[in-house]
Amino acid sequence: MEMFFHGFMQRAFQASLLISLIAPVLGLFLILRRQSLMADTLSHVSLAGVALGLLIGVNPTWTNMLVVAVIAILLEYLRAVYRTYSEISIAILMSAGMALVLVLMGLSDGGATLSINQFLFGSIVTISEQQVWMLLMLTIIISLLYLVFRKPMYILTFDEETAFTAGLPINTMSVLFNVLTGITIAVIMPIVGALLVSAIIVLPAAISMRLSKSFNGVILIGIVIALIGMLSGLVASYEVGTPPGATITLILIVVFAITAFIKNVFRYNKFERFFKKSNI
Amino acid sequence: MVHYIEVKNLAFQYEEEPVLENISFEVDAEDFVMLTGENGAAKTTLLRNILGLLKPSKGSVRIASQNHFGEKLVVGYVSQQVASFNAGFPSTVLELVQSGRYQRGKWFKRLDKEDKMHVQRSLESVGMWDMRHKKIGELSGGQKQRISLARVFATDPDLFVLDEPTTGMDGNARKEFYKLLKHNCKEHGKGILMVTHDHEEIRHYADKHIELVRKEDSPWRCFSMDSCKELSKPHS
Repeated sequence: MEMFFHGFMQRAFQASLLISLIAPVLGLFLILRRQSLMADTLSHVSLAGVALGLLIGVNPTWTNMLVVAVIAILLEYLRAVYRTYSEISIAILMSAGMALVLVLMGLSDGGATLSINQFLFGSIVTISEQQVWMLLMLTIIISLLYLVFRKPMYILTFDEETAFTAGLPINTMSVLFNVLTGITIAVIMPIVGALLVSAIIVLPAAISMRLSKSFNGVILIGIVIALIGMLSGLVASYEVGTPPGATITLILIVVFAITAFIKNVFRYNKFERFFKKSNI
Repeated sequence: MVHYIEVKNLAFQYEEEPVLENISFEVDAEDFVMLTGENGAAKTTLLRNILGLLKPSKGSVRIASQNHFGEKLVVGYVSQQVASFNAGFPSTVLELVQSGRYQRGKWFKRLDKEDKMHVQRSLESVGMWDMRHKKIGELSGGQKQRISLARVFATDPDLFVLDEPTTGMDGNARKEFYKLLKHNCKEHGKGILMVTHDHEEIRHYADKHIELVRKEDSPWRCFSMDSCKELSKPHS
């Protein structure tokens, strides 16, 4: 109970709750659009944004958002150029992002290296009230956008050609989705760390996709799973003293393994009942 | 009069290689047009040019913006690639077919009773109503084809653009499907452009036949239009 009296833990719980609401929504669309690795690319690139901010003496959150938004647009352009091999765009930008981080860190003094480490692994102690407010605003924006554009996004994710012939502005929608994902990563990254931000976005949706048949069901179950993973991971991280991002990711992977096991047992029993019934 | 589809002197090439040349035809309301040609005759390429998914290298393609009632023209497209169905896509058959109604001004509105009736009728017309709660990834190839068609019927489009829609259907199902298309065309004023290999059977239902034939005088594997023949109907 003691942990709930610390201001930084209260902010961490608030942030976790908000991340749990948006991560499965973005995660599901990323997976279905074959862009799971895009979150990883953007998190690497956002480190370059942080390094740039530290180098020129501007609040890294703002430079981070700006750089990630630009790269998100570039990513969509490259995805269109290499339509058949869209992972090429991810490979190019991920390596470009990391190269940029190292160059920018080389140009700055040692202080930047320390701060970059914080962004790399994340820290719940450093969550500021301003970050929680930003996350709240982002959650409201994403929730509203999801409620309004749920149907066009469903079609776009199902098949881009169908979406195009239905008259949807598929390029604009794709770019906006990428930018929104980029900004979300830029806001979440200082909390969970650049190395694991994509896992926290993608894993809840990946688990819930195995559990629900319907689109809305996947998102609802994803939110529940994200809440379980985020909150229990945070408590475990506080109690054991492990990094929060890594702890949450490991818990989500355990949940993934458990659900896969239970589902397989369930399927096996179903087959067994069928064969017994058919006397095969 | 504005045609639903108007293709004028269309040519298309992949990089330097011409694939289609001299294609001109129109599709109107109440027109049932079948498009045939040997394997690799660029039929799908032509459809993709018409829909705007590819850009012609010469000539023009125009799809009317309004139907004959002055409303926004709605296009229903069924692609050939049923295999492109994402097996893991988390959606039930009902959800997917309902999504066909979104194009009917329901992007930002709830589906009403009439929409739901339309969806039910569409699913029943392809014999998939009982499977409505199944996950789409669990369906066979033929069933996926049928729900693609149900989705397009649910859309109730003014113009159907169908790329080999009867793949995986048996003879009876094909006949029922053609009858349904014919009914939509003649009774509800829809325009239909359909790529098919099944031209002997469908010629009893279609009004026009466009055949893509290989150009003898081209060193490339390039196709052109033979003609746009009006099909005579047997007296019934």
